[in-house]
Amino acid sequence: MTAAAQHAYDTYEALVEDYFEKGWTDGLPIMPPTPEKVAAFLEGAGLSGDEVLGTVPTREVTCTAEQAAVNAVMAGCLPEYFPVVVAAVRAHLHPKGNCHSTTGTLSGAAQAVIINGPVRNELGVASGAGCFGPGFRANATIGRALRLVIRNVCRGIPGFLDRASYSTPARYSFCFGEKEEASDWEPLHVQRGLAPDQSAATVHSLMKMVEATDFTSRNAEGVCDTLVSNIRANGIAGDSWLGEDGNVVIVVGHEHHRFFIDEGWSKADIQQHLWPRLNAPATSATDRMARIGKPEGILIVAAGGAGMGASWLLLPHLALAITEPIS
Amino acid sequence: MELEWAGVPSVAIVHEEMRGSAKAIARVSGCADYEFLTVDYPWVPIAIWSKEECLELAEIMAPKVMAALTGRS
Repeated sequence: MTAAAQHAYDTYEALVEDYFEKGWTDGLPIMPPTPEKVAAFLEGAGLSGDEVLGTVPTREVTCTAEQAAVNAVMAGCLPEYFPVVVAAVRAHLHPKGNCHSTTGTLSGAAQAVIINGPVRNELGVASGAGCFGPGFRANATIGRALRLVIRNVCRGIPGFLDRASYSTPARYSFCFGEKEEASDWEPLHVQRGLAPDQSAATVHSLMKMVEATDFTSRNAEGVCDTLVSNIRANGIAGDSWLGEDGNVVIVVGHEHHRFFIDEGWSKADIQQHLWPRLNAPATSATDRMARIGKPEGILIVAAGGAGMGASWLLLPHLALAITEPIS
Repeated sequence: MELEWAGVPSVAIVHEEMRGSAKAIARVSGCADYEFLTVDYPWVPIAIWSKEECLELAEIMAPKVMAALTGRS
C-alpha cells in the first residue's frame, strides 16, 4: 500500500467505502492518506519514504516509513504524532518483538504502546484518569496507527495471518503514557537506559490484561502480595527463545501508588521484592511459578486516575517489551 | 438533594475524586450552588474499611455535618 496518489474519488464517503471494500481498515472509517499528508508526515519526522523501519521475515514483509506514514494518516494521527508511531513500529518489528507470533496467535495478543518523556505532554498523551480508554486523540490514533500497520503492511488480517479465536478490543488501539509527574519514580525509559529528557515508546505484546484489585491492603507489601497472587494465578507464557529477558508490565494505579510513595519504595525496590515471589515454586494449579529471568524484567509503570484500588497486569505474549527512542 | 427537596435537612458527603460529577449533577438538577462535604485520601472512594477506620472517619465528619446542617462552624 502506498499513498493514495493513484486513486481518485469524488467524495470522502466514496473513498472510505472503497477502503472498506478493499479491506484496508480495522472496520472503522479512516482519514484519506493523500500524498500531501503522507509527505508532511515524512518530512516532519525527517524520514525518506523508503527508509526501512523493520521486517517480518516469516511473512516476507518489509515496512517502510512511507507505509507507516500512510497508515498513521489513515488512523487520524496529526503529523507531530508520527515520530511516536515510527518508534512504536520499530519496537514492534524488533526481532524480539516477535510480530509474526504476537499478531498471528490464536490467543489474540494485543500490543500496548507506552509513551515516556517530554513528548507525552507535548502531544497530550493521556496517562491519568481514563488513559486506557477512548477520548484522547494521541492515545487513540497512535495505538491505531500501529495496528493498521500490522494489518495493512504486516498482513495481520483476521482469517488470513491473524488466527485469533476471539481477538480483543485492545487490538483497535492501546496506547497510554506513564504518569511521570506523579512521583519521583524513575520513568520506564530511564530504567531501560535512556535519558530523562529523551522521549520513548515501549511496545509490549500482551497475552491478556488482568485487573489486580485490592481495596483492603493499607501498605505496599499488601499490594505486592495482591500483584504476585494475580500474576501467579494467571500465569506467564514462556519460551526458551526469549532467554532470561522475559517481561511483565505492571501498571500501578494511583491508590496503590500512594502506598509505595508513602513508604519510600522505588521501582527497583518493588522489582526486588516481587521477583523471588514470582519465581517461587508452584504450590497449586492456581499458584504457579511466573518465570521472569531478572528483577529488571518486571516493568513498573505508574498510570491511571485516582479512586480505584487497582493496578493492571499486562501479561506477556511470546515477545519482549522493546523500548525505542523517539527522534 | 432529593431529601432536601422533600423537606428533610440533609448534607451530602462525596469523595474528592467524585466532586466533579457531584457538582455536575447538582448543576443539571438546578442546584448549582449546592454545597458538599468532601472526604479525601487516605479514605479512598472504593474500599473495604475496618470498623476502626469507619469510626475514625465518622469522628472527623460528624462535626462538619452538624455545622453544615445548623449553619454554625
